[in-house]
Amino acid sequence: MSPPDRDPPPPAPPPDVDTPFSVKHVEAKASLLLLALLLMVLGAVAYLAYARGAFEPTQTLVLVSDDSEGVVVGMDLTFAGFAIGRVKRIELAPDGNARVLVDVPLKDAHWLRESSIFTLVRGVVGNTNIRAYSGVLTDPPLPDGAVRTVLRGDTAAEIPKLLAQARELLQNLNAMTASDSSLSNSFGNVQALTDKLKGPGGGLGVLLGSDAEAKKLLATLERTNSLLARLDTLAVKADAQVFGKDGVMPHANASVQQLNALLADARASLKKADAVLDDAKTISGNAKSATADLGSLRAQVEASLRNVDALILEVNRKWPFARDTEVKLP
Amino acid sequence: MGPMSSLQGAIGAAGRAGVQWSTSWWHVVRVGALVLVLALSPSTYLATNRRALLHHLYVGTAPLVAWFAVLSALISLVLIRIVIVTAASYGLGQYALEMVIRVLVLELIPLTAALFVALRCTVPSGAELSRMHARGDLVRLQARGIDPVRHELMPRVVTGIFAVGLLAALSCLIALFIAYLSLYGLSLGAFAGFTRVVGQIFEPGVMMILALKTLLFSLAVSLIPVGALLRGPRPDTTRTSAALDSLVRMFLAILLIEVASLIGNYT
Repeated sequence: MSPPDRDPPPPAPPPDVDTPFSVKHVEAKASLLLLALLLMVLGAVAYLAYARGAFEPTQTLVLVSDDSEGVVVGMDLTFAGFAIGRVKRIELAPDGNARVLVDVPLKDAHWLRESSIFTLVRGVVGNTNIRAYSGVLTDPPLPDGAVRTVLRGDTAAEIPKLLAQARELLQNLNAMTASDSSLSNSFGNVQALTDKLKGPGGGLGVLLGSDAEAKKLLATLERTNSLLARLDTLAVKADAQVFGKDGVMPHANASVQQLNALLADARASLKKADAVLDDAKTISGNAKSATADLGSLRAQVEASLRNVDALILEVNRKWPFARDTEVKLP
Repeated sequence: MGPMSSLQGAIGAAGRAGVQWSTSWWHVVRVGALVLVLALSPSTYLATNRRALLHHLYVGTAPLVAWFAVLSALISLVLIRIVIVTAASYGLGQYALEMVIRVLVLELIPLTAALFVALRCTVPSGAELSRMHARGDLVRLQARGIDPVRHELMPRVVTGIFAVGLLAALSCLIALFIAYLSLYGLSLGAFAGFTRVVGQIFEPGVMMILALKTLLFSLAVSLIPVGALLRGPRPDTTRTSAALDSLVRMFLAILLIEVASLIGNYT
C-alpha cells in the first residue's frame, strides 16, 4: 500500500491514451488471467457437483424412524465403514414417524439386500451414524424406493443411567471413606495395631490381647528355659548313672549273662524232665493195659459171684429150715 | 442560554456528521451503480476502453498473484497443521478435514484475499485516482474527448473485483491441496473420501453464501476507496483523514459482510 499522505505527491505523468501501454502483450496476459479465473470457477463448480454426486445414477432408500434427531441432509449411510449413500431429505410422515430419504449410487446399491438391517446410532460426542448391515449377500437386492425401519441406538441415552449408577457408587465410596465410617475405623485400628507392633513385645501383645499376658508368656518361656537347663543337667546325671562305669547298664549286662547261664541249666533240666516224662508215658501205657485186664477179671469175678449167689439160693430153697417168706396181711 | 446553545451545536454537529456519513455511502452506491451500468453497456468495450480495462486488470492483479500464493500457502500450512494436530490430540482426527475446509476455505481465505487486494491494489489505486482528480487530469482527459469514468474509474473497480475473485479462488485451491497433502500425504487413495467430505460441506446454501460473500467483499474493497472520488475534495479534511475514512468504512463493510455470512452459515 502506498501511503496516501505522501506530501508532496510525485508528479504523475498525465495519462495519454494514444501512447502504448508499457507492458507488452497486456491484452493477451490479461485475457489469460481472466481465463484462469474462469477455469478455476468452472472447475470448482464441476468438482463440487461431482463431489455431491450430481453425475451419479442413484436409487432411493427410505428409512423410517420414530426420531430423526442428529440426522442431517448430506450425512452418509455407511456399510462396513464405507460411505455408500447420502441423506437427501428428511421429512415427517403423516403417522408421526420421520422418513429419511437416502440416495444410494447404483454402483454401491448391490451391498444392500432385502435382508439388510439399518441402524441409527448416536455417539457420545453427538455424532450420528446411519449404518447398513447385510448378513446374507446372496439375498435379492433391495429395490428402488424400498422402505425400511431403522433401529435406533442412543449412546447419549445411556449416560443419565450411567451417571445415576456412578452417583450411587460415589455415595457408597463417600460413606466408606467418611471419618466415622467402619472402613476409616478399621484403618484407625490398623494404625493403632502397627503402632503397637512397632513397640517392644508388640507382636505378642497383639496376639495375646494385652501386655500383661505377653509378660506372662515371656515369664513362662523363661521358666521353660530354666527347666530345660535343669533337665539337661538331669540327663547328664542319668547318663552317668545308667551308662557310666558303675552305672546300671554294665550290671544289667552281667545279669543277662548270668541269666543266659541259668537258661542253659534250665534247658538241661527240661531235657531231663522230658526223659522222665517219657518213662512216665511208658508206665501209663502199661497201667492202661493192666486196667483192661482188670476189667475182664472183674467180669469173671462177677460171673463167679452170680453163680455162687444162685447156688446159695438153691441151697436155701432146698434147705428144711428155710425161713418163712410168705407175707401175711393184717 | 449557554448550555442550550452548546446542545444545539452538538445536535447540529451530529446531524452534519450523519449527513456526511450517509452522503459518503450514497456516493459508494452511485459508483457501484455507475460501474454496473458501464460494465453492461457495449460501448465500454470499444478498443480504447478495453485496452485500458485489460491494462488495469493485468497491472493491478498480476503482481499480487505470486506474493499472495506464497503468503496464503504459508498461512494455510500453519493453520492446517494446528487444526490437524489439535483435532488429533482430542481424538477427533476424522473431523480435521471438515474443520480445515470450514475455517480456511469458507471463512479466512475470502477475507484475507479481500484485505490483501484492498491494501495492495484498490486503496492505492483510489488514492491515485484522487490525486489525478486533484491535479485536474480527469478534466483534461474529458477535454480530449475521453470519458474518465470509463477510462480510469471503471477499470480500477473491475480490477479490484477481479483480483479478489482470482486470489480467493487460487488460495482456496492451494489450501485444499495443502490440506490433502497434510492429511493423506502423496497417496491418491484418499481422494474419494476427501471428495466426499468436500461435497458434504459445500451444500448449495454454503456455496451460495461463499460466492455471495466473495462478491460483496470484492465490491466493498473496490468501490469504497473510489467512492470518495465522486464526493470531491472537502475543504475541512486532509487527504490523510479522507483515506483513513475510506479505510474505516471499508473495514466496517467487510466486518458486516463477514458477520452476515457467519449468521447465514452457522445459524
